[in-house]
Amino acid sequence: MKNSQIAIIIAIAVLIGYSMVRLGNSSTYSDFNSARAKAGEKTTVIGYLNLEKELVFDPESITLSFFAIDKNGNESKVLYNHPKPQDFERSEEITLTGYASDSAFVATEILMKCPSKYNEQNEVDSELIYK
Amino acid sequence: MEYVGEHLWAANLGRALVAFSFIFALLSTLGYYSKGEAWKTLGRFAFRVHAVALFSLIGLLFFIMGSHYFEFDYVWKHTSLDLPSRYLFSAFWEGQEGSFLLWMFWNGVLGWILTYTAKSFEGPVVGVFAAVQAFLVSMILGVYIGDYKIGASPFILIREIPENIGLPWTQFADYLQRFPNFMDGSGLNPLLQNYWMTIHPPTLFLGFSATLVPFSYAIAALLRKDYKTWINSALIWSFFTVGILGVGILMGGAWAYEALSFGGFWAWDPVENTSLVPWLTMAAGAHLLLIQRNRGGVMPSTLFLLIITFLLVLYSTFLTRSGVLGDSSVHAFVDLGLSGQLLLYLLFFTIGAIVLYLVRYKNIPKKQGDDGMDSREFWMFIGSLVLLISGLQITLSTSYPVFNKLFGPDGLITLYTENKVLQDPIEHYNAIQVPFAIIIALLIGAGQFLTYKRTSSAAFFKRQIGTFIATIALTLFSAWALDMWNPIYFTLLLASYYAVVANVDFWVRWAKGNWNIAGSSVAHVGFGLILAGALISNANKDIISQNDTFIHEEFPANENLLVELGDTVQMGEYWVSWKDQTEEGYYVNYNLEFFEEQEGALEHSFTLSPRIQMNERMGNVAEPSTKHYLGKDVYTHVTYADLRTNEERGNEEWKNQFDLEMGVGESHFLYGKYQVRLDTLVVEAPQTNGTPDYVVLGAGLSIKTMTDSTYKIMPLYAVQGNESTHRDIEIDELGLKFSFDRINYDTNKPVIVASEHTDAEVPFIIVKAEVFPWINMLWLGSIIMAIGTVIAMIQRRKQMRA
Repeated sequence: MKNSQIAIIIAIAVLIGYSMVRLGNSSTYSDFNSARAKAGEKTTVIGYLNLEKELVFDPESITLSFFAIDKNGNESKVLYNHPKPQDFERSEEITLTGYASDSAFVATEILMKCPSKYNEQNEVDSELIYK
Repeated sequence: MEYVGEHLWAANLGRALVAFSFIFALLSTLGYYSKGEAWKTLGRFAFRVHAVALFSLIGLLFFIMGSHYFEFDYVWKHTSLDLPSRYLFSAFWEGQEGSFLLWMFWNGVLGWILTYTAKSFEGPVVGVFAAVQAFLVSMILGVYIGDYKIGASPFILIREIPENIGLPWTQFADYLQRFPNFMDGSGLNPLLQNYWMTIHPPTLFLGFSATLVPFSYAIAALLRKDYKTWINSALIWSFFTVGILGVGILMGGAWAYEALSFGGFWAWDPVENTSLVPWLTMAAGAHLLLIQRNRGGVMPSTLFLLIITFLLVLYSTFLTRSGVLGDSSVHAFVDLGLSGQLLLYLLFFTIGAIVLYLVRYKNIPKKQGDDGMDSREFWMFIGSLVLLISGLQITLSTSYPVFNKLFGPDGLITLYTENKVLQDPIEHYNAIQVPFAIIIALLIGAGQFLTYKRTSSAAFFKRQIGTFIATIALTLFSAWALDMWNPIYFTLLLASYYAVVANVDFWVRWAKGNWNIAGSSVAHVGFGLILAGALISNANKDIISQNDTFIHEEFPANENLLVELGDTVQMGEYWVSWKDQTEEGYYVNYNLEFFEEQEGALEHSFTLSPRIQMNERMGNVAEPSTKHYLGKDVYTHVTYADLRTNEERGNEEWKNQFDLEMGVGESHFLYGKYQVRLDTLVVEAPQTNGTPDYVVLGAGLSIKTMTDSTYKIMPLYAVQGNESTHRDIEIDELGLKFSFDRINYDTNKPVIVASEHTDAEVPFIIVKAEVFPWINMLWLGSIIMAIGTVIAMIQRRKQMRA
């Protein structure tokens, strides 16, 4: 056996081992119920805003609190200690990364999917043209 | 119908040029891969015709963009009348079509150069270029076969877009003059109106384009079964690629750091990752070529790396342009519906190259005997292997969205029922990539002192005593000054310094400062500085805008701070005051004054103006502002600002209206602070001939405060015929207003409406401020690495000539 071949084998073993561990470890998207069952554990929930309930941003403590409904229809209060994202209310879908606590889901990161203004603006709107 | 004012000649010419360019690229491929001199001449001729057509159509597209021909969809989408001409380039490659053209442009330029320089390898090398160009031009063909679209043409008119066909406005011959919508384009996204957008994409795409040269040589080698004569040429091109691609990637980082508010220069975003990976494998491939040239025996791995680098560029193209990444990246392109075509492009070259490689594998010369563990070539090989593994790890982790598409719940073969997602990508990549970086840095340092074949271990250590002492001293000093004793960070710091010191030491003491052989030393010093700078500025990053407001024990500390207009807050060693805001075009600048404490007094040290770009199309965007010192940067950006105008904010002076219904002698609590009593009700109703002229009612109120002071007032209510008037009373000291509103006829009691004065809202912004120590080391390293690469290329060229 040559030294370089041994090195290649070790490298491949590392890579395979790594990907097995990773795929096993990587978290999946979950809902609020399973997040609550694993309180304190980091997870990702996809849902949308419940605009009928209160959505408050307190600039003093920089806390955004709102209610979200996940894809399975479970609702939860969400706390987010970052400034309120631009156009937050307009979001169609939000991806929350964080963990469940006793009282609320504490989000550490929020990704929003907005109806794309970019595309809306780029369509040539025939109604607009007639005005 | 004859439309008025359209520049159809440009549309027709543009499409003809695209078609020409496509056909001649195919013809060139055919010519170059057929046997015989005549065919080869045809191939060369066809490639040049293709390139001329390509350059002309690029020129034409620039022309119609600069001339504001808004009937063209691409012109309308990416430019506007008020777009400064210096941003024409940015606008050109803002869209997918334009960025494909940029890529093709470089391929055309490099391919043309190769028709001169590749000599006996011209056929198979430029032939690969022609084939790649054919695929790329097909991305902008804009031809429909049935319902299937091949490519998106930049020369399509708005009225020709399928969604618009048959719309009422297309019935007007003079639609361009009739409808204001067509008189101005929607313009370049303001986020991209930035000089970085002018220089970063061309550099990066030149790097991507350059990866095709070593790839083509590798394919040519396999086709020709010639594993020798091309190595020197490929070597120069490989180092050229490493240099340009490296600069292109770092420019992207500098852009992100200077002008975008990602809060750093690197965020492990999929788009960043997939441009880094080809750099890693190209660097590995270039080093293997060096071994191959000096010692031989690594041809199979060399070819593999040169091939896989270009394939990874294709994979990157597929990821960022097909829409697969979806939401996991901030800067993937808008999906043009070309994913099928992109996949075909990717699979054609991947399968073609891999099949060719496997068919020829037996034929590729392999190693005789074994490398000793004390030889330079062995450790260079290990280094290349580590770079490859590092690149593959990044690729695997970036490909989660692809795995989900293939094996997820809605995938081709369902292997798992829930889509997988990478948690904490930054932490994840850092944890895995830092050990790789440590190994690479150690090898970079030691490599210079190793010799080919075998190294005497006594000499190896003896020569480096100075290096070791200097490295350890420098590391200990830095770790002490920065308080960086985390074992992993400390090791990386040690390894990076070792890479820098060993290379400086080698060049000064053993290479005697000879510029002719300085290339590798200089480039490696740069690389070591990049690692050290990246480590220190990231690991010792200090968020000085910590907010101590306690919310909940489980709630993480807040990294943003509220600053009211005119107020001064403490951030780390600074006192920060928000003086005013100024408007400038698209921007609102928030001017923050930074003060430092000196001998008990606050001294003004600098002003930063982070700003918000009012971007109607993409949402408002915060742009940071940074104060650069030699040893640190103070970086700020506005994370929240109230952008409402006074009107939107609600300009009402009075709030909390409250109805007080009281009989005489009764009292009522108000706002939990006051006691209101109706002392008396005065009525005046003069009559003429038995009918009242008017009625005036006065409510005698006494308002008692918590501090027992009493205010006596009398709001009036007058009725004449159908009209009523009120005379309201305001108590300025209390900020209260009382209005005698009406009589409740059910209870016969007067109704007094009280309201409170709105306190003038103090404007505020929320700021995030960070200190990045020694980030200049990173930029300095980038420049040094680029210079080193250029020296190395010149040096190789001289060697080749000799």
